[in-house]
Amino acid sequence: MLWWEVLVQQTINGLTRGAVFALIALGYTMVYGIIELINFAHGDVFMLGLFISLSWFALLGVTKTLVGWQLVTILPLVFALTMLTTAALNVAIDRMAYRPLRRSTRLAPLITAIGVSFMLENVALLWKGPAPIAYPDVFPSVDILREWFGVDSAIFITTKDLLVVGATIPLMVGLNYFVTRTRWGKAMRATAQDRETAQAMGIDVERTILLTFFVGGALAGAAGLIQGMYYNIGMWWMGYQAGLRAFTAAVLGGIGNMPGAALGGLFIGFLSAWSDQYISARWTNALVFAILILVLVFRPQGLMGERSADKV
Amino acid sequence: MRRGLGWTALVAALLVYPFADRVLGFQTVHAVSDGMIYVLLALGLNIVVGYAGLLDLGYAAFFAIGAYAMGLLNSPLVGSPFYGHAWSFWLCIWIAAAVSALLGVAIGAPTLRVRGDYLAIITLGFGEIIPVAIRNLGDITIELGSWRPVERLNLTGGENGVNPIGRPHFPGVPFETDPVPWYFLILVIGAASLWAMNRLRDSRLGRAWMAIREDETAADCTGVNPVSTKLLAFALGASFSGFAGSVYAAKLQAITPGAFEFQVSIMLLCMVVLGGAGSLKGVILGGMLITLFDRVALAQTTFFVRWVGRTIGAPALVAADLTLWRWFFFGLGLALVMLLRPEGLAGRRMRPIPIGDDADAPASAPAPRVEAIPGWLRDRMRGGGNFGTEPILEIHGLTKRFGGIVALNEVDLIVPRGAIVGLIGPNGAGKTTLFNVVTGLIRPEGGRITFEGARLGGLRPNAIVARGIARTFQSIRLFPQMTVLENVLVGEHCRLAASVAGAVLRPRAVVSEEARARERGRELLAFVGLGGKEDDVARNLPYGDQRRLEIARALATEPRLILLDEPTAGMNPRETATLTALIGTLRRELALSVLLIEHDMEVVMGVSDRITVLDYGTRIAEGTPAEIQRHPRVIEAYLGTGYELERHA
Repeated sequence: MLWWEVLVQQTINGLTRGAVFALIALGYTMVYGIIELINFAHGDVFMLGLFISLSWFALLGVTKTLVGWQLVTILPLVFALTMLTTAALNVAIDRMAYRPLRRSTRLAPLITAIGVSFMLENVALLWKGPAPIAYPDVFPSVDILREWFGVDSAIFITTKDLLVVGATIPLMVGLNYFVTRTRWGKAMRATAQDRETAQAMGIDVERTILLTFFVGGALAGAAGLIQGMYYNIGMWWMGYQAGLRAFTAAVLGGIGNMPGAALGGLFIGFLSAWSDQYISARWTNALVFAILILVLVFRPQGLMGERSADKV
Repeated sequence: MRRGLGWTALVAALLVYPFADRVLGFQTVHAVSDGMIYVLLALGLNIVVGYAGLLDLGYAAFFAIGAYAMGLLNSPLVGSPFYGHAWSFWLCIWIAAAVSALLGVAIGAPTLRVRGDYLAIITLGFGEIIPVAIRNLGDITIELGSWRPVERLNLTGGENGVNPIGRPHFPGVPFETDPVPWYFLILVIGAASLWAMNRLRDSRLGRAWMAIREDETAADCTGVNPVSTKLLAFALGASFSGFAGSVYAAKLQAITPGAFEFQVSIMLLCMVVLGGAGSLKGVILGGMLITLFDRVALAQTTFFVRWVGRTIGAPALVAADLTLWRWFFFGLGLALVMLLRPEGLAGRRMRPIPIGDDADAPASAPAPRVEAIPGWLRDRMRGGGNFGTEPILEIHGLTKRFGGIVALNEVDLIVPRGAIVGLIGPNGAGKTTLFNVVTGLIRPEGGRITFEGARLGGLRPNAIVARGIARTFQSIRLFPQMTVLENVLVGEHCRLAASVAGAVLRPRAVVSEEARARERGRELLAFVGLGGKEDDVARNLPYGDQRRLEIARALATEPRLILLDEPTAGMNPRETATLTALIGTLRRELALSVLLIEHDMEVVMGVSDRITVLDYGTRIAEGTPAEIQRHPRVIEAYLGTGYELERHA
């Protein structure tokens, strides 16, 4: 491969990785925006989303690659079912583990979230066993450049790449519409800015928080499904690492800032793909964490956020 | 007497245990020693999490640093240019602690200004980077085109770790073959650490840690330097894990990066949180319970469940392996403790705030008596400047903007020495902002603040307290979980000198300083009317007492100027009268200068020598109370036209 082909290939890899990170990062940023909690278990909801989607495919009897009309019926159905399941899971976690601690110190729910994260990982370990799980090739993989355009190139773009982009963009557009144009979205933004005032204006704050966890969980579920179909593999420990990278993305975009989280996700995706290629995959984690630390220390408002004064 | 007996029994049990174990053939000494290392680690983490309130999710990194310091310096084998000469264990253990402490400072210094939950994530990131780095530094190749300056350099042993590691040598003690000397070595290190931690807790430094944990801003404004205090917590916490890591490495004879992953940090956090963050006994208890659970209970319960399964013929139970649930139970434990008993098993149970308790308490505290003013406070205050003529605080052209809002607009203000100056104005006029600027909490865009002839610009709040300016807060900001006396002692922090070594070793100078500080604290509390409540937890005090305690804490910093932010807010008329009398007494007897924000016109007009009125960040009037009451702009903006009538109604 020529150097520019490597670069293009890794950038495409980065885009698909980044799309998944972005979907997870949105869940972190929404929850942090509304209750100032680093929802440590969120990455594990993503991981469970992958396994849950696997179960939905199995329940629907899908074992082979989907073809033709199945792509427009079964696939959206599995998206919906998976997203509903992880959304319900996320809401349940909030109700049981975080809600009783709404009025306590900032660190108590964070510690609880770490506890929940360990529980979810252990559940997945016991459910699926310690070894990586193969995810069936449900989505057709077609080499676009060669098969559709007849171009002979070392660069490899498949219909799966299209799937990632084609699923992520509508989700984000939908989310943006929901948050900026609907009554519920308005309630979420108001609660994020000032919970007490929102309450005084007649907004049911607890229901708004529930909604936030619901939407965040749904996005994590979608990300899990996309991840599974794209990489055809799932591990019980993948939520921790993906979660931390997505959290880094959220911090990079300014935590609480939703477009920032999406862009941050893409950035981390590119960065990790390039780092794998040009530095060494062994150092990518260290690089991502170094970025996380540097941003938190020197620009905690994120690359896009504005500095806000703490109240005294 | 009984306590002494208990201690003797405990020490005897600890001393006899390994020999009893040998006689009975249990062979548990190894496991118990390992458990003790983890308890020592948890105790070190407790300094950071329990005392200073900084959530550290990457503590295992310091453990790793300690272990690798020992491993790399004391391993006779690994083929790298850095080692090959095995150093003595007894030297390495100190080097390991020092390296860990240094690293704690290096990590802490840039990161400690960030908020608590961000700090937690930063430590987590650091905890992730260290094992990655250890793994990768076992095989370094730098490739720049065809030039390879470094090829396959092995610094850390990579995934395989370091193995073997030299054991300690001590004449006549068989560290090579016998687990018992290890047990005693760890016991001695653990006991010494415990002794040091216990002394640290009850020292000037320990109180500063807890003050930071309770309310960092209030601690800063009471004279505690948050950055250096937190750094000390990081460094000391890390050094204990350096000890633990180095002993662990030498005992195990082999270390791999896998032993220092995130899970280890979380297990240690479990120990601290379960037992009760901040309580030494609690952390030991938590450490023992978790070690026992992890090493013994899970395996034994599995045996039991399988036996039950075989007996009743349930194949699901026969195949059960509870050890696979290990992390589930740790996670569950963390969540349950936080939800059900956040103070931990042995932590101080928080009493609910008494409601309607004011009825039982004396209706109001006694009026302050002049003769009750502590002599030392008189001595400190006396002298220095001309009473009433020269200014103690001068503010010129002070400007502060928040975005587009001008909170302070070219404000001038002078507090003469020994005077009471009132600061009034409608809500949002910028009064509290002025306090925050003077005490260094926020930086102004322009203007000059001079205290006793010296500029205050750019000083941190604690440095300003040390210069002699103390404050109280509009919404009371005590250290709620600390006792009344401890609150006042934090106020004395900047006037005390004990260092870390002094706090642990307690030379005579430190002991007498501490005794004097406590005596002063008691006198001060008696003076403000809180005598006899020294050992109450601050949050349980009735409202009026909390206000007085905040003033006592401010006075303990030995200020020459005190800023009081609505001291009578929420008080009943009798409490208000007592407090007004107290302010008058302080000025009259101690020549203490006072800058007072107050909405109660009765108080402000009665006690102030001069009054400054702010409106929308601008000074609209300045003068004596009588002048202010007649000032047309003040009446228009703040007092209202009916004020004169109302007052005489």
